[in-house]
Amino acid sequence: MVKSALSRTTIYILLSLGAVLMLLPFVWMISTSLKAPNEVMAMPPVWVPSEWKFENFTEALKVAPFDRYFINSVIVTIVSTIGELITTILAAYAFSRIQFFGRDIAFAVLLGTMMVPSEVLLIPNFVTLSNLGWIDTYSALIVPWTASVFAIFLLRQYFLGIPKELSFAAKVDGCSEFKFLWYVMAPLAKPALITVELLKVINSWNAFLWPIIVTNSQELRTLPVGLSAFTTEAGIKYELLMAASSMVIFPMLILFFIMQKYIVAGVARTGLKG
Amino acid sequence: MDVYLDNLTMEFQDIKAVDRLSTTIKDGQLVSLLGPSGCGKSTTLMLLAGLYKPTSGDIYFGEQNVTKLDAEKREIGMVFQNYALYPHLSVLKNIMFPLRMQKVPKKEAKERAIEMAELVQIGHLIDRKPGQLSGGQQQRVAIARALVKKPKLLLLDEPLSNLDARLRLEMREEIRRIQQEVGITAIFVTHDQEEALSISDRVMLMKNGILQQDSPPQDMYRNPINSFTASFLGNPPINFIKVTKTDQQGKYKIMNSSQLIHLAKDIDMGQIQLGLRPENIYITNKEDALMTGEVVHLETIGRDTLIRVKIDDVTIRALIDPATDIHVGERCHIGIKQEHIRYFNIENGANLERGNSHDGQANMEKHA
Amino acid sequence: MMDKPTWKSTLRAFLYLLPALLILIVFNIYPIIKSFLMSLYTDYDFYNDVVYEYGLSNFSDIFQDPNFIKAIVNTTVFVIGVVPVSIVLSLAIAIMLNSKIKALSFFRTIYFLPFVTSVVAVAIVWGWIFHSDYGLLNYFLGFFGIDPIEWLTDPTYSMPALIILSVWKGLGFNIIIFLAGLQNINKQYYLAAQVDGASAWHRFLSVTIPLLSPTMFFISIISIINAFKVFDEIFALFNGRPGPANSTLTVVYYVYQKFYEEWEFGLASAAAFVLFIIVFLFTLIQLSLGKKFVHYQ
Repeated sequence: MVKSALSRTTIYILLSLGAVLMLLPFVWMISTSLKAPNEVMAMPPVWVPSEWKFENFTEALKVAPFDRYFINSVIVTIVSTIGELITTILAAYAFSRIQFFGRDIAFAVLLGTMMVPSEVLLIPNFVTLSNLGWIDTYSALIVPWTASVFAIFLLRQYFLGIPKELSFAAKVDGCSEFKFLWYVMAPLAKPALITVELLKVINSWNAFLWPIIVTNSQELRTLPVGLSAFTTEAGIKYELLMAASSMVIFPMLILFFIMQKYIVAGVARTGLKG
Repeated sequence: MDVYLDNLTMEFQDIKAVDRLSTTIKDGQLVSLLGPSGCGKSTTLMLLAGLYKPTSGDIYFGEQNVTKLDAEKREIGMVFQNYALYPHLSVLKNIMFPLRMQKVPKKEAKERAIEMAELVQIGHLIDRKPGQLSGGQQQRVAIARALVKKPKLLLLDEPLSNLDARLRLEMREEIRRIQQEVGITAIFVTHDQEEALSISDRVMLMKNGILQQDSPPQDMYRNPINSFTASFLGNPPINFIKVTKTDQQGKYKIMNSSQLIHLAKDIDMGQIQLGLRPENIYITNKEDALMTGEVVHLETIGRDTLIRVKIDDVTIRALIDPATDIHVGERCHIGIKQEHIRYFNIENGANLERGNSHDGQANMEKHA
Repeated sequence: MMDKPTWKSTLRAFLYLLPALLILIVFNIYPIIKSFLMSLYTDYDFYNDVVYEYGLSNFSDIFQDPNFIKAIVNTTVFVIGVVPVSIVLSLAIAIMLNSKIKALSFFRTIYFLPFVTSVVAVAIVWGWIFHSDYGLLNYFLGFFGIDPIEWLTDPTYSMPALIILSVWKGLGFNIIIFLAGLQNINKQYYLAAQVDGASAWHRFLSVTIPLLSPTMFFISIISIINAFKVFDEIFALFNGRPGPANSTLTVVYYVYQKFYEEWEFGLASAAAFVLFIIVFLFTLIQLSLGKKFVHYQ
């Protein structure tokens, strides 16, 4: 419909210009991360390093234990995602397939909590965690994030769309309710589960405010926390800072390139219900 | 294995979906549960499957009371209207599913599943996903899955209604063939009277949760227990005319008409309802005629010619010999053999001639 | 199965719900109540978890705190700076992407990239771009004869820097949602408008905009709510400070300062509660007005 208003060529030029602006920070990050120190501060800027300094990455690892941060991020992300997967499947099943007293009220209360920004819960949760003695432990990083109302809501909607006859058929086939959930319902909901859990992985990997508050020791830093601390540790060595930033950003970029379909579908769906 | 239902009742809120249903289904028979939608036939099937638990009454499989037994322990197979195949599993895995649930070793399960796939003639499709199959093929998979664990009872819930007309005909013959080959007791729910009459050893006709008649198909057709049964079976439907007794012996006046008709049977009632099947009516001469009227409609469908004859305010449908030379607007005399006339009580619809015992009738009385 | 709830089914459901409920009650529901209560703690010993006094003084205190007022003002400026720009840009890009161009998924991927990346990491990259002497941005501005700007150290420019970063980061999310909204519009409306002789611009005004209004409304509210919660970018862009001279001090940053740096739990909770009320109001607006004033198809 814009076709007649703007020419095709104009559209391509504008979109490409925008794309360049979107990519520029990434390009600049990679370019800087591979430069020798004298080229980093060169004016006019050097776009392609004359010599590719992959050592910057090993150098950054020497200044701060990014390998350790990386492992922490992986542990926190994987465990909290698996935890959320389990709690979500079980809860979504109950809300979609079992009639029980107080179901609608319980569901409404849970949906209501989605309105409360997680920043508001920070302080009481910090108090709870310190009472539990969990401050500065993996538990503090993981356990509070092993259940999500958003995920339960989304999966419940998906489950409701699975025909009831299927559960009848499974019962007749001698399948218990629990087996039915794991062998039939969960595999059928795979697209929805992948979408929900990918968004979870991204959020968990990039989380910052929560980990800086509940951890103090260097051994427990996740990548974003470690990176933030690194800005003071590395001083003004931008090539190291950019190398470190790349290490934080790349895993999610790779995940995005592989699973793009699901992530885009997930985001589009959150918009359509609005 | 015989199946006994004893005063089976199922209530949803205030509605009695099944009302004191008692019957016996004999080993190896294929029995149809027939009736209009909402008559309780599907609920009855769900009760037999154990997917619903009855409000009262009992279900026996052979000697065993299974009323309280859960579906997964009843050793039944079930085929659903929308097939209910597991969309994420291949055909082979779908058929193997019940066996895997019984912890049958994988190798044996696979062999039995393939054998069953061959029986229902989908052996060449076992690696496909259900979404890649046609409706008829999916239904065959569903039948194979229901039969693979050698159930004691096969339940089919409107299995043909999602298929197109031609396939429906083919699949109903297939279901009959497979049922007889396996020799399993089967219960078949349908709202299609033709399906029920063609496929089953016995038909159970239900209305508003109550079993109306329980007899072999031809018996039910020829000798309906009441006017509901008579009207539900047959296409085009049976003609009903109301008549009033006159002073003349054997002469009855058609209501809303001045014509008198002669009935051989003497019924001791002022008013009765007569049932005349369209295919029993023929065109005849004045002497032999039961009634005389004007042809208002004529159509030829395949081998039959259907006419509608108007006798004052009463319209009669008749299937006649296509060779008959008759046209719309002409007057004609229609006749019927006296033994083809059915007599019903005008108040409660009961067949006034039925005093003699029939199979289904006996069944019902035994438990009543 | 489809029958009425019984105590047995309730018990069964409870077992399925138990793991999720345990986590959600402890870390989501209880803290909502607790955070409200904590905002009323006027005298509190955190180490022994003893409350000596309740009262409303925390609220009067924060509203008399010039920093809190500044945080509210800054947050509002941030919202006004980010939301309209982001919506106009993302709508324009989405419409261009939706005009049957060939490289749709290629462009979509590029615009969406920032969404999946760590805010902290990209803020550090942008910090380098904003560098006053060696930053790319000042280098490019130099082409237009603009003198180098102290993006991160001059209080006048720190907020614009933050806004640029946030628009860049959030663009992809909005584009995806707008695209979904656009693809949801039935093509027949355009054909009908075309038959009626509407020009391209007219069709945009009379078909696209009204039919896209639910999506625009949704994005506006979500953007406003998210903008109110901005923290990570500030922390990373300004090295753990709320900008030069508190020029990018926002509500969440204020909460963080009071709570984590000054250990003032009562004040921090009160500020968090104010944030909650603001977000809650926008959510309510979305829920109630959304259905009335917006054209749903």
